[in-house]
Amino acid sequence: MDSATSQLWSKRVLYLILAALVLFLHLLPLDTKPDRWPFPDLLIALTFAWVLRRPEYVPTLLIAIVMLMADLLLQRPPGLLAALVVLGAAYLRSAAFGMRDSGFISEWSTVAVVITGVFMLNRVILAIVSVQQAALGPVVIQVVLTIAVYPLIVLLSQNALGVRRATVANTNAVGARG
Amino acid sequence: MAKDRSQRDEYTTPLRRLLLGVVVLCLLAIFLVWRIDSPRVERFRAQVVDRVVPSMEWAMVPVTAVVNLARDFQSYQRLSEQNQELRSELRLMRAWKEAALQLEQENARLLDLNNVRLDPRLTYITGVVMADSGSPFRQSVLLNVGERDGITDGWATMDGIGVVGRISGVGPDTARVILMTDASSAIPATIQPSGQTALITGDNTSAPAVEFLENRELVRPGDRVVTSGDGGVFPGGLLIGQITADPGGRLRVRLSADFERLEFLRVLRYQSAPQIRDPGDIVGPRNPEAALTPSEVGDG
Repeated sequence: MDSATSQLWSKRVLYLILAALVLFLHLLPLDTKPDRWPFPDLLIALTFAWVLRRPEYVPTLLIAIVMLMADLLLQRPPGLLAALVVLGAAYLRSAAFGMRDSGFISEWSTVAVVITGVFMLNRVILAIVSVQQAALGPVVIQVVLTIAVYPLIVLLSQNALGVRRATVANTNAVGARG
Repeated sequence: MAKDRSQRDEYTTPLRRLLLGVVVLCLLAIFLVWRIDSPRVERFRAQVVDRVVPSMEWAMVPVTAVVNLARDFQSYQRLSEQNQELRSELRLMRAWKEAALQLEQENARLLDLNNVRLDPRLTYITGVVMADSGSPFRQSVLLNVGERDGITDGWATMDGIGVVGRISGVGPDTARVILMTDASSAIPATIQPSGQTALITGDNTSAPAVEFLENRELVRPGDRVVTSGDGGVFPGGLLIGQITADPGGRLRVRLSADFERLEFLRVLRYQSAPQIRDPGDIVGPRNPEAALTPSEVGDG
């Protein structure tokens, strides 16, 4: 049980480190010209992939803190996208049990719907409170790229970082501890 | 299925739901506060950035250097080609240098004759770019100078040649520069030689648009654009760039500053920049304080 606890906390720390790494890469002052190709939102893809595999590695509070930091550092309206990602993660958390036996394609399409929903709600709410927004085109590209990069993140999480779906034995262990 | 359902219910216990609700409400509250009282939350953001980004600097500097080295290496491959280009440019520049020297002497003589004193307030502080905005939708960079160096919101920032942007968000050790290419940037400018005034507004492309131009006929591609100093936010007479027309016929500004690689930026000290400390008066002008005595109000 003790090793399971240390495993749990080391994975949570790993999530924090990965989030810091992604933010770090975003902030590198390599190209200050505006015609940059919008890049996928790796943090959201990573969060959703982990929530579907091991929800206990990414507790709600941790997601909220990480996404709020991202909002603050990346000059987004603070709090809104963070709240939407937390809600999306909560939905996936509850849907994870149902998706356990269906294949990857159905998981991918669910995640695609949730990602699209998060970005769409973000835009709609920003429009309602009349905040100046980026043009629609690059945002759509960003959503598509985020969805496209999701399988890669899943592959990386499963093979390199050891975040796989819990087996039945593991689930029971988690349940017993919780 | 029944087992599934029971597991799920067990999983999302009321406590978890409560936590989720509280977290989401907190985040939305932060967003609403930001919407209502933006300057205060932006100051908080500047403090957070000021705390976080300098602590990444030890890793950022070498990584940036290595990537730039690799890019330079790529350009070495075209060395002979570039050499040719440089030679021909050098020949051109020699001619220009002669002309410039003569003009400089003439200018100095004329200034001397007129007893003109250049504005002594326009001194500058040079800062190094630490980080960019991190998002393709916002154009800004973070400088390693801040409140400690006396930087204030609103000051103009230039590279060696042209205007780059203005300071917006100052932490103790860092300051954010909103670039002219950002969608929230609008700078009053004069177009030489016609003297038309316009607003140079960024739109996330590399050439900001020229807006609120009174008479388009007087402006031709190639005209110089300089800041006009209208509104008192920016000092006047700083070079911005040259007018170009995009394929749609819309006037844009080709910026003189080298936005490809911003590294060292000058922040111009300019004391008349107004301070933004409150969210602005949306509902109307504030009532004059103590202008009327209570008895007078009673009369009215």
